[in-house]
Amino acid sequence: MPALDWQGVLTGQPLQWIVSGFLTTLWVTLAGVVLATLLALLFLLLRLSAGRFGHAVVSGWVSLFRNTPLLVQLLFWYFAAWNGLPLGFRDVVNADHAWSILPGDVWWFTPEFLCSAWGLGVFTSAFLIEEIESGLRSVPNGQRDAALAQGFSAWRLFRYILLPQGLANAWQPVVGQYLNLMKLSSLASGIGFAELTYQVRQIESYNAHALEAFTVGTALYLLTGVLMGMLLTRLGPRAGRTQHDCRI
Amino acid sequence: MIAGFNVIVDNLDYLLWGRAAAGEPGGVLLSLLMAAGAAILALPCGIALACAAWRYPGLVRKALFLWAELIRGIPLIFVIFWMWYLLPLMTGGDLPGALTVTLALAWFTAASVMHSVLAGLNALPAGQYEAALTQGFSTRQTLWRVLLPQVMRNILPSLVGIFISLLKDTSLAFIVNVPELTTVAGQVNNRVQIYPAAIFIFTGVVYYLLCCSLEQLAKRWRITRPAL
Repeated sequence: MPALDWQGVLTGQPLQWIVSGFLTTLWVTLAGVVLATLLALLFLLLRLSAGRFGHAVVSGWVSLFRNTPLLVQLLFWYFAAWNGLPLGFRDVVNADHAWSILPGDVWWFTPEFLCSAWGLGVFTSAFLIEEIESGLRSVPNGQRDAALAQGFSAWRLFRYILLPQGLANAWQPVVGQYLNLMKLSSLASGIGFAELTYQVRQIESYNAHALEAFTVGTALYLLTGVLMGMLLTRLGPRAGRTQHDCRI
Repeated sequence: MIAGFNVIVDNLDYLLWGRAAAGEPGGVLLSLLMAAGAAILALPCGIALACAAWRYPGLVRKALFLWAELIRGIPLIFVIFWMWYLLPLMTGGDLPGALTVTLALAWFTAASVMHSVLAGLNALPAGQYEAALTQGFSTRQTLWRVLLPQVMRNILPSLVGIFISLLKDTSLAFIVNVPELTTVAGQVNNRVQIYPAAIFIFTGVVYYLLCCSLEQLAKRWRITRPAL
């Protein structure tokens, strides 16, 4: 084993890179999680309300994005879909905007950030749909019937009766998918997005402190995963409580 | 559209098997080789680890769980990076890139297989184990002849899921420039420049078909075999 030299990683420029990369990873994870959740809810609603057509669209979406690698999807979004957008829009994104800077000096209105967040969100939404769907399936049928008997519309049935209970049932797997999204954001380094993995590799080519940089990167991902898991589990709905209320 | 199609046709043999004729398999062929190699390594290792965790519930199981948590708690890219830097240090020589990635994938997949098999073992009725013991089976015989055959059948869907993930994960070799399908597609894209949509849609379709056929194969295999 070569001697490890932490000074080459935890000071000066390399440290700045790591901090900036870490913050970028956190921001893109947040954006991806929000996007994935919104997409998943949208498609679940579509599946519930739009009959056979909605069903086919959602199955196609899930099958397509589950059965292709995320990296290929990211490459597609970044190299193909992005360049297919109107030039005017791309120019707006490429220009400098003061409102594009998030705390921690992370620019969100850039092609790399948008493509990464979108790619991660779309990929994860396909998994979230399945997880929440199975949570919804374990809501007793009587709940649905009772709500219909009370005159709930499809939307209100979904929003106030099925979703809260389904989400509570599926919360653990959903958190697992969010954590997965955080780890998979490392793949965005493949399209040149300057998140943690990208910066760690940059240190490697900057001063060849590969092992030290990878150790720091590994520790940061592990730590983020543990903290995120604890936080989300605590914040999330609890299956026991809701079900208990319902059975009274 | 037609031009994009021509790009695929012109580069089809390169995308499918790289420079296999020159002894350097690439493209789809290399992806499949890496996935198969990793699966062949990970399956027995994962089963053996699960048996160890099942047989020794104390310290051994805790250590194995910790190992699995560590592996699954970091991005797969980092497992590949670590292998990339540590294997040459340990073996003293340079390993081919494809082999390194295959070992990293096997290492990662073994942890998933372990959890899956262990869950299967725990899900079996306790009577199975006790009945085998009263019949005079040793622990090893019980595992091998009584428990594992049932477990493997029960967890087949979960194993198929793991291997589909494995197949998709071979695309990560792109990051370390091993010439499997994704890398090769990236190379063709860099060379041609103007048809990224055609190239990456083709790549996606190939992965999609491979994953779906793996799923179908498993379904058929499961149906044609009687329940144990």
